Amino acid sequence: MRVTPLILLFVAVFMVLAAGCAGDGEQVVLKVVPAGSLLIPLESVEAGFEAAHPGVDVQIEGHGSIQCVRQVTDLHREIDLVAVADESLIPDMMYRPMEDGQGNYTDSYTSFATNRMVVAYTDASRYADEITAENWYEVLARPDTVVGISNPMLDAAGYRSLMVTTLAEDYYQDETIFSSILGDHLRPNVTVTREGGVTTITLPEVLKQEGGKVRIRDGSIYLLSLLDAGGVDYAFEYLSVARAHGLRYVSLPPEIDLSSADHADNYRRVVVDLGFQRFASIGSERVGSPIVYAATVPANAPHPELAREFMDYMVGEFGKGYEEWPDPLRA
Amino acid sequence: MKAACLAGVLLVVAVSVAACGCTGDAGQAAEEVSWNLTVSDGTTEKVLSLPEIKALPAWEGYGYGVSTVGIKYGPYTVKGVRLTTLVESVGGIGEGDQVGISAPDGYYWVFDDEQMGGSGFVTFDQNLKEKPAPPLTVVLAYEFNGTAIPEEDGGPLRIVVGTDEPGTITEGSAWVKWVDRIEVKRP
Repeated sequence: MRVTPLILLFVAVFMVLAAGCAGDGEQVVLKVVPAGSLLIPLESVEAGFEAAHPGVDVQIEGHGSIQCVRQVTDLHREIDLVAVADESLIPDMMYRPMEDGQGNYTDSYTSFATNRMVVAYTDASRYADEITAENWYEVLARPDTVVGISNPMLDAAGYRSLMVTTLAEDYYQDETIFSSILGDHLRPNVTVTREGGVTTITLPEVLKQEGGKVRIRDGSIYLLSLLDAGGVDYAFEYLSVARAHGLRYVSLPPEIDLSSADHADNYRRVVVDLGFQRFASIGSERVGSPIVYAATVPANAPHPELAREFMDYMVGEFGKGYEEWPDPLRA
Repeated sequence: MKAACLAGVLLVVAVSVAACGCTGDAGQAAEEVSWNLTVSDGTTEKVLSLPEIKALPAWEGYGYGVSTVGIKYGPYTVKGVRLTTLVESVGGIGEGDQVGISAPDGYYWVFDDEQMGGSGFVTFDQNLKEKPAPPLTVVLAYEFNGTAIPEEDGGPLRIVVGTDEPGTITEGSAWVKWVDRIEVKRP
């Protein structure tokens, strides 16, 4: 009978190891791919949803908006929810047939938030005690002021920075604003053409800063680090990002800050032509438009019902209008 | 005694089976895949197989990248071929030239002559604080940490902006995955 404890030991060891292999086999993993400027709000959304759904593990994986879509369309990953900072990307890139011929990647999306471009700065920024909503473009144009933008090739906030400074020229009736703040300090030369009321900024293939006045970084988080370290005095950022990081900021007029559907016609008067077509699945031209966040559940999402439930919850949370989040869309 | 031995054997078998199940395929060596790389300058074109690329003079160093939203990947020890070595077969790179890197997933990236020489990049320490750039090399990598680069990490061929010493992070947007074409563009 001495064998009995050994058999029990065997059974116990096997069950423990088997449990270790299975891990949290009962847990459903919901894969959400959001734009970078949604990462902070989605931490909170994730926590709230998981608290209400024991057994669901929401996994957030941030990318630039186009890369979010490409995870589904070009890299063929199984993603439950895509959330981008430019609603036009979803119809442009996902309203097309999937490779297996089973319909489009998606046929609908939900717009849920907006944002606005601001000029962010800190107490230590040069001329921090002088800058106002009226003189911001003069302060940023000063030779000893260092301005940061994210790379327009990589980040929507980057090409939107170019749009804001271009739209400012008409608004303030000063045709030097774009060139004095950004254009003259980039190399190779940025081409600006005006035709039929539309200004087109054409970027070179490899965009670099000329001298020390402008600093270009891959994403806005690196501009935040530079602001903290004093590497730049001012950076073009989304309002929600500036607030979430406790930065000071200058609000810009709605005619130029890309926040308002009422001014959509005006925003369309600026076009940025990126230096090269980084992705085969979308062209290199970006037309000014209101910043609108949108989400969709891809047709091949592993957990479509749960994903829709998450999206509904997320949209509801954004609708509450938290201070440090992108603003809810007006009805 | 026989029963005790039997139980002991069963225990060993159970542990082995369970342990095998846990490790999955991770311990298996990556198989050599079939992959061709086209190197072109618009007029001359060369197609290199993976073994032909590996036969070229190798560069060995370190790679550590970061995405636009701050996701780090690596650090890796890296083995590959300098991009400057690869483009020598189509006449090399001169002042003002650019090098376009393509992949079958539709991704495209461009390096200018300055970057091909290892400068013009932003670098970070491990806390993502900017630091002065050490010597950098643009490499077409085929090994991470001594083994073939897995497909999910961009293998078999992936661009790396590498360093001679560990501890430097470079911007990952240039780390093109699944590279299948390199084209020199003359001004």
